[in-house]
Amino acid sequence: MTSTTEPHSQHGLRPGDPPPRRRGIFMRPGYLRASWVTPLFFLIGMYIVVALRALAGWDPVYDWEYIVLIAGMVTAPIGFLLGMGVFDYWLYWISGRPTVADDHASHGAYSWKDYFKVNTDHKVIGIQYLVTTFFFFVAGGFLAMLFRAELAEPGMQFFDTQTFNGLVSAHATLMIFVFIIPAFAGLANFAVPLMLGAPDMAFPRLNALSFWMLPVAGALFLASFLAPGGAFATGWTSYAPLASEQPFGQVFFNMGVQWAGASSIATALNFLVTIITMRAPGMTFWRMPLLVWANFTTSLLVVIATPFIAGSQFFVMFDRVMHTSFFTPDNGGYVLGYQHIFWFYSHPAVYIMVLPGFGIISEVISVFSRKPIFGYRLMAVSLIGILVLAFSVWAHHMFVAGMADWLRIPMMISTLLIAVPTGIKVFSWLATLWEGKLHLSTPMLFALGFISTFVIGGLSGVYVASVPIDIHASDTYFVVAHIHYVLFGGSVFTIFAGLYYWFPKMTGRMFDERLGKLHFWLTFVTFNLTFFPMHWLGLDGMPRRVADYAGTYGALNMVVSIGSFVLGASVVIFAYNIVVSWARGPVAESNPWKAMTIEWQVSSPPPVFNFDEIPQVVGGPYEYGVPGARHAVLRGGALQEAHA
Amino acid sequence: MIRVTVIAVLAAIVTTLVAVLIRWLPESASEQMDRITFTYWFATVISIAIFSIVIGLIVYSVWAFRVQPEDDTDGPPIHGNTKLEIAWTIVPALLVISIGLVSAVVISKNANAGSDPLEVKVFAQQFAWKFEYPGEVRSDELVMPLRRPVEFHMESADVIHSLWIPQMGQKQDVVPGVTTKIVITPTRTGTFTLICTELCGLGHATMRAPVRVLEQPEFASWLAKQRAAGAGAAGGAASGGTGGGTQAGGAASALGKQTFASAGCGGCHAFEPAGTDAQIGPGLDNLVADAKKAGEPEDAYIEQSIVEPNAVVVAGYQPGVMPQTFGETLSPEELDALVAFLSGK
Repeated sequence: MTSTTEPHSQHGLRPGDPPPRRRGIFMRPGYLRASWVTPLFFLIGMYIVVALRALAGWDPVYDWEYIVLIAGMVTAPIGFLLGMGVFDYWLYWISGRPTVADDHASHGAYSWKDYFKVNTDHKVIGIQYLVTTFFFFVAGGFLAMLFRAELAEPGMQFFDTQTFNGLVSAHATLMIFVFIIPAFAGLANFAVPLMLGAPDMAFPRLNALSFWMLPVAGALFLASFLAPGGAFATGWTSYAPLASEQPFGQVFFNMGVQWAGASSIATALNFLVTIITMRAPGMTFWRMPLLVWANFTTSLLVVIATPFIAGSQFFVMFDRVMHTSFFTPDNGGYVLGYQHIFWFYSHPAVYIMVLPGFGIISEVISVFSRKPIFGYRLMAVSLIGILVLAFSVWAHHMFVAGMADWLRIPMMISTLLIAVPTGIKVFSWLATLWEGKLHLSTPMLFALGFISTFVIGGLSGVYVASVPIDIHASDTYFVVAHIHYVLFGGSVFTIFAGLYYWFPKMTGRMFDERLGKLHFWLTFVTFNLTFFPMHWLGLDGMPRRVADYAGTYGALNMVVSIGSFVLGASVVIFAYNIVVSWARGPVAESNPWKAMTIEWQVSSPPPVFNFDEIPQVVGGPYEYGVPGARHAVLRGGALQEAHA
Repeated sequence: MIRVTVIAVLAAIVTTLVAVLIRWLPESASEQMDRITFTYWFATVISIAIFSIVIGLIVYSVWAFRVQPEDDTDGPPIHGNTKLEIAWTIVPALLVISIGLVSAVVISKNANAGSDPLEVKVFAQQFAWKFEYPGEVRSDELVMPLRRPVEFHMESADVIHSLWIPQMGQKQDVVPGVTTKIVITPTRTGTFTLICTELCGLGHATMRAPVRVLEQPEFASWLAKQRAAGAGAAGGAASGGTGGGTQAGGAASALGKQTFASAGCGGCHAFEPAGTDAQIGPGLDNLVADAKKAGEPEDAYIEQSIVEPNAVVVAGYQPGVMPQTFGETLSPEELDALVAFLSGK
């Protein structure tokens, strides 16, 4: 970014080692090498398929569905990662060639070009995550505006029903798998090592691999629109057996989820090891900022739950490509098995998409109220409570699915109980506000907006937790409203809060506060305009995932559609603010919000290796108003460097 | 504290007005929906209370504790309050458990079909509903007697569907390989619409069926009439197979039209003689020309397209969309009659 230090490319080579061989531009890691390795790996995958089919005597030998599946979705992405250089270090090590354990050649960003390369610096990777996921956020939002145009009036106007179903499915898939989940991973990537007082994540190269798998997943989801028969059109839930009978676009979903899931699992393992082993001296678990706690519990959820969705998608795909019968009623398959496995991931996934947000809100509320977070330990314990309960509620998605009746009551009770730790968090935030000195900056506005919308999402969650109400409301627009109050009013508001909060730290520049506030108010008003009427539509009888609906719902749908267009347009203000402020905003001081956590005690942006010397933690992270209290003591030139 | 209470009460009044003035739920038409509505209001009262407290606190805090940007003092270092924390753990837990108890009682009542339910079999397939009453009476329309519990036994021929009549509340997925059940006791006469609420493919949005609730005597006479008509149609088809002649031909044509409707063809295909105009599958008004294009005799082409829909796919449409089960679900008489009906004979 603005630092002028030379990269440590030769760092760590022992005297007497041969100098590294100079490689031609087509052999160096990067886009040029990827541009020929990717097609090469496609051909390898393609001829594996062709050779196997020829050997088995199957006709046709060139079956393009299998070729695209194996070559396009498995080997070509591996070739792309190889070409970009993600595996270079490991391959050198495996093949016995000389490696330098602390080779920092690809660490840190010294010009904007470094953000487009494989980088092992957690701060660079964090920003790579955020920019990439923002692209998919815009793409997913654009798809939503397309189908809201279709839904503005009853009858069919712009799309046929298969295209409509494809738009709905791709919208949800992009938002969940390549926006919300990885955007939180990006924010945490940037903030968590700094907050822990660690120089980087535990496994920087694995961190880079996690990030580079993400564009592969997003590209597969988007590429499905090019498949014959259109994009996957069975919703993001992709229920069997419909999903194994649909046109080929469905496979792009099955495989895209694998790449996103692998990325997610690798990152979560990285966070767990980092948080457990790399805390600075004095950073006990009870002194960790709540954002770290939130990512600790989220990572546990990811590591335990994500393999289940990977399995469910493989099985569904096997039912199609290998003619197995996991989820088809003939040959002994069990249709509801899919839903049990799918929701065993996908309900915890809702907490994966909201717990990191809880962490962000705890930071923001405490700093902008100038008060310690109320009931810190109970806040951390309630995260653990959500983690445990999250694994016992999955079948509340299946109250009308035809599963065993006896399962309904225990699932309802555990689902209702999960409202308790969530409620503890909300009440503790409110108590933190009480008698504080409230600074209503943009991050704080998003945090307060989050509490008010998330409370509606939480309460509508109580409605659908109650079996009789859910039986009426399930699969209607009420559920659509609920999930958007949780994932937009919840997750997206917290992502915006976090982006504004850490923007000065990430870029070293301040954003435009007036544009930030305008963005908040426009988002807050149009969000409610878009999603609140959906409660009514659903309860009154409008099912979800329909391209056409009864004429009586026309007026409200028009309101919803107009709201969604303005909501989409509000993102332009955000993008403009970020881009312009990043380029020419006023220079940010190291601690513009006067926060206590460690990331604010180093320069903005932080030095490449974060700290000259590992900080010593001496107290809690939120001791605002306590005379003389400090969270951490930093030695060395980090701060001085910032002021120099 | 008094000011917070005032704001919270104001918020509660506004929220209550929103809850009461807007008709959120459709007017109930079943005993089950009456109980669902009760549960809904039980949860709503609790929700209004919690929502008002939260909004009251946020609004009051912003109003009372806001400071100017240049103020760099800190708030009081309050770290927590054990009694308060215990209270906001226990009270919400009790509230949600009370919702759970009410819900549990309602579920068990709503699943109880009583001693003398009317059993109706439901067959769902892409993208049509069929209903079968005792005595093998089949119908494309769901007709229910007033105030008698109807127990549905539901099966799906292909993918997952879901049965819902919004005014009657109850909803249940129809799952291939599993027979699912649901009970509805209608409480008012009238016409309603049954809709599919589980995404089931191209024609999901239009997979609906008409519903009528009749007084019990009217229902009995409707059922008797259907039974007689069903027997007549079956007899006619049988005699058409052996005898022939104009009268039997007429019966076959009636059976063809009936099959077209009951198999759900009109859910996807436009066909003028049947009065359907759906656009999901290819139109069926030019089958003679289509058969010529495929280079096959007309009847054979039509029969093949019904039984083995992927054999010839009209340009611009996808294979694998039309159910491939009609060869099994239609009787030979029905299939012949349908082919005759479609070829215009």
